[in-house]
Amino acid sequence: MSLSLSSFRGLASRFPARPTSVTAMATTAASPITQCLRALSTTASALAPLVPSKKPKKDTTKKAGRGAEVRDPKMINMLSHFAVLSPKRIPPPLRMGRNRHLRHWTIHRAWLLFRRREREARERTLMRQYQSMNNACEELRLTAGPGTRDEGYLYRVALEKKGIYGLYGVPIEYARAQTDTPAKVAWDHDWKR
Amino acid sequence: MASLRGLSRPARSLPLSPLARHTYTAGSIRCASSQAGEATSDLEQSTLNASQLSPEEKKDFRPWKRAADRKFGLPSGRYQYHPPKYERGPLHPVQSPASSDPIARDFVPGPFNLPRLKQTYHSTIASDLMTLAYMHVPPGTPGKERPERLRGWDGSSPYHKNRALRGPRGNPVLPLVERDVTFNNVPEIKEITISSYVPDAIQDADHLLVARSVLLALTGTTPEITRTKSNVVQWGIMRGKRAGVKTTVHGNAAYEFLDRCIHLVFPKIKDWKGIRATTGDSGGNLSFGFNPDEMKLFPEVEINYWMYPAKMLPGCRVFIKTTATSDRQARLLLQSLGIPFYGEVRN
Repeated sequence: MSLSLSSFRGLASRFPARPTSVTAMATTAASPITQCLRALSTTASALAPLVPSKKPKKDTTKKAGRGAEVRDPKMINMLSHFAVLSPKRIPPPLRMGRNRHLRHWTIHRAWLLFRRREREARERTLMRQYQSMNNACEELRLTAGPGTRDEGYLYRVALEKKGIYGLYGVPIEYARAQTDTPAKVAWDHDWKR
Repeated sequence: MASLRGLSRPARSLPLSPLARHTYTAGSIRCASSQAGEATSDLEQSTLNASQLSPEEKKDFRPWKRAADRKFGLPSGRYQYHPPKYERGPLHPVQSPASSDPIARDFVPGPFNLPRLKQTYHSTIASDLMTLAYMHVPPGTPGKERPERLRGWDGSSPYHKNRALRGPRGNPVLPLVERDVTFNNVPEIKEITISSYVPDAIQDADHLLVARSVLLALTGTTPEITRTKSNVVQWGIMRGKRAGVKTTVHGNAAYEFLDRCIHLVFPKIKDWKGIRATTGDSGGNLSFGFNPDEMKLFPEVEINYWMYPAKMLPGCRVFIKTTATSDRQARLLLQSLGIPFYGEVRN
């Protein structure tokens, strides 16, 4: 995106420290002479007579503060990004003809319907799994265990929750985000830096 | 559809495929199934595939004549409605359309991808977490007795009648009660808040700009500026000064951000042990932080690292808000997403 110079016009208002046009005029009027003198004379004695005459002007530059300095181009770059995002530059809303809007509306309703069906299918699956677990645990609870074990032994074993809320409740190998192209070796245990 | 123009209206509405309607060349293209033919009849009739008009038809076609003879003007075919620029409150008759409406000012075109962490969560992790945390309740078991959370009044005074209950003793915040994980209560990522505190911004406002643009790059949302809450002279902070930025991402964007943290940033941090296990507000919201060196590892910062003044790059804090109602359930969720924890476990 290319920005014209005029697009930076609003940026100046963000710095209260920026000089007003009057003070800027005052400083720039004197600056060419002083700059020439400084370029020609490097000794402190040559600069000395200039100091008393500059004193009142120094105050005005102090009032101008940071605005008188050259701003870091990185800062200007970042500011321009926020200038693009400013509420003044939000593009106008889309305008759609009647039929086009109706087409969009139809597609939107279909998309909502699709999402709703997916969500309900997910919830149904979870509910079914929960019910199955419930039935299985109930069955285990009323079953006398293998061999001479008493009733409910398998149930107690199945519901043991030892350590799941600890630091290693879920092994780190479990956390592999699904991809279209999974690795051939699922987890390289021999990896070393 | 010049050849259709001569037909009567009911004949036009017959469910014939437009391919079969007029030309032989089109008729030679055969649909493999009748279903495909129906599908093409659903398409809009385009003037592009219409045949040439005959000279008589051209002569008859005089829209300007019809417009001149018309007594009243037709309503404009263009959509004239403009959504209001400003919100005027919930009771005002002028209201903005819903954000899903494409003409709304805050309309954002829909999700263009499915975050793979979300896909993994819904296809695998959710049911696994439910199974892992399943607690069996035999039928006929009486419900759990909840301790009294808000204190009542002893009734020693007649004024105690209908008086509101008191908060807990000592702690003004009422802690959440943990809910069991069931099929409709599996912990999930809700939103992620990223905040960055830059006290140096009180001296030099440029720090604020850098922090804002870094968070903008990380999340894609415009961060808001926060203010200092307290006055500490030694640290040079003053109450009410602008010294921080924060932003919140919800839903898909939160999953994407977490994905980047887990798979791109955490593995690159040197000697990273994990997240401290004592984190959490005992309500299922966990947090961790990145220092400036670690912020560099985000691909969005890395790709144009030259854009930021190197010494001004801020650190940030990341708050992960989940639907879990206790820290241990939230930790279980984050562990299954691939975030290791270390140290002492609390809550």
